[in-house]
Amino acid sequence: MRRRRFGPSVLMLCALLVAPLQSTSYAAVIGTEQYLGAMERERALERIDAVLAREAVRERLTQLGVDPADALERAAALSDAELLALAENLEELPAGGSLLGVIGVVFVVLLILELVGVTDVFNKI
Amino acid sequence: MQALAAFRDARVTRALRLGFVVAALAVAGCAGAPRVDGTSLPAVELEDVPFFPQTDYQCGPAALATILAHEGLPVDADSLAPAVYIEGLRGSLQAELLAATRRHGLVPYRLRPDPDALFAEVGSGKPVLVLQNLGLDRFPVWHYAVVVGFDPARREVLLRSGTEHRRREPLKRFLRSWARADHWAFVAAAPDEPPVTADADGWIRAVTDAARVLAPSSADAALHAATSRWPNAPIVMYASAVRAGEAGRWEDAARAYAMLLEHEPGNVAARNNLANMLAEGGCLGEALRQARAALEDVRTDSPLRPAIEDTVETLVRRSEAATAEPAYCASFP
Repeated sequence: MRRRRFGPSVLMLCALLVAPLQSTSYAAVIGTEQYLGAMERERALERIDAVLAREAVRERLTQLGVDPADALERAAALSDAELLALAENLEELPAGGSLLGVIGVVFVVLLILELVGVTDVFNKI
Repeated sequence: MQALAAFRDARVTRALRLGFVVAALAVAGCAGAPRVDGTSLPAVELEDVPFFPQTDYQCGPAALATILAHEGLPVDADSLAPAVYIEGLRGSLQAELLAATRRHGLVPYRLRPDPDALFAEVGSGKPVLVLQNLGLDRFPVWHYAVVVGFDPARREVLLRSGTEHRRREPLKRFLRSWARADHWAFVAAAPDEPPVTADADGWIRAVTDAARVLAPSSADAALHAATSRWPNAPIVMYASAVRAGEAGRWEDAARAYAMLLEHEPGNVAARNNLANMLAEGGCLGEALRQARAALEDVRTDSPLRPAIEDTVETLVRRSEAATAEPAYCASFP
C-alpha cells in the first residue's frame, strides 16, 4: 500500500500562510542549515518542505499513540533533514526497544543463533 | 524469558554450539564488524554514571535518561518517555533521542563510526548512547544502551543496558551488534564543550540542528567554543557570521564573511550573505557588486542559486531608489 505523503489539511494551509512571516528581514541570507544542506548535496530543502514535513511527522506520531501536545513539541525539535527522513519512512527506521515482528520461524532462528552466541536478544528482556 | 536464560546456560548449549558453529560463522560473517582486538584500548570505567532500569520496551527513555542525568539534569526514564517513546512502534526513533537531548539544552553529537572514537569519548568522561542490533540484518532487534567503560584484561565492554546495571559484553560481540546498527552512537555535550572527538563540520552541524530549540545564549556559547577550538575552519567562520547577522551586527558579519572569502573566494553562499549585510549597512553599490559576482560563480543547478538571484533582484530594486552611501562604505571590501 502506498502511504499518503503530505496530504492537504487545514493546518498545512495555515502553515503555508504563516511561513513567509517567519523569515528574517533579509530574506536572501543563506543560513547555516541551508548552507550545510547544499554542501552535502542533499536535496535542496525549501522552507516550505520542512513545514510540511513537520506537520506530516506530527500527524504520524499522533496516529502511533503519542499525545498530540507531545507530538507537536517533538516534531519541533527535529532538524530539517531528520524531519524529511521521518516524513518519508518513519515505520522503516530502527525503533530501539522493540521485539515486535520476532515471531514464528524468526523466533526459532534467533533462539538458535542466541544459543550459539551470534545474537544477543534474550539477555535484554 | 527466565526459562530461556536458564535454557541458554544448560549443557545442551555446548552440543548445539558444535552443531551450528558453521552456520553461525556464515551468518556472523555478514555483519562486517571491524577488526578491533581491543588490545590498544585503555581501561576505563565511568562508575558514577547513573542507571535507569528499562521497563517493557522502553530502553530508549532509559538510555537517554542515563546520559542526560549524568550531565546533571533532573530526568528519569518515566519523565522522558513522553518525549521519545512511540507506543505504536513499541520503541524510540534515533532522531527523537537527538531531538529530546536538544530540548534539554544539550547538543547531541553523533560520533564517528569507529570504536576508537567511542572509547575516546568514554575515556574523556562521556557515557556514549549506542544503538545495537541484537538480532540479524534481516531480522533486526533494535536496542539502545549506554557504554560506560572497557576492560582490556577481559576484553569486555561495560554497559548500562536494559535491566542490567553493569553489563559486561565481549568486545567482539558488542562491536558486531553495533556494526549491525551502522555504528550509530552519540554523546550529550554541553553547548560550550564540544566533545573530544568532535570536528568543526560535525560540531557546527550538531549545533545548527539544535539551534531552533536551544536558548540563544547556548547557541552563542556553542559557536564561541567552536571559534576557540577551530579558529580557521571555514564552516565555523560561516556559522559565526550568520549568527552575527541574525543578532543585527551587520558590520561584524560583513567582516567575517570578507575574511572567509579570502580563504574561499568561490564560496558563493558567503558572498551572497556579504552582499545582504552590506545592503543592511546601506552600502548598496558594493553589495550589488558582490551579489552579481556570486551569481556569476554559482552553478546553474545549485540549490543556492534562487537565494542569490533573489539577492540581486532585491538589490537592483533598492539601488534605483538609493541616495548617497554612508562614508564607511569606502572601507568595504
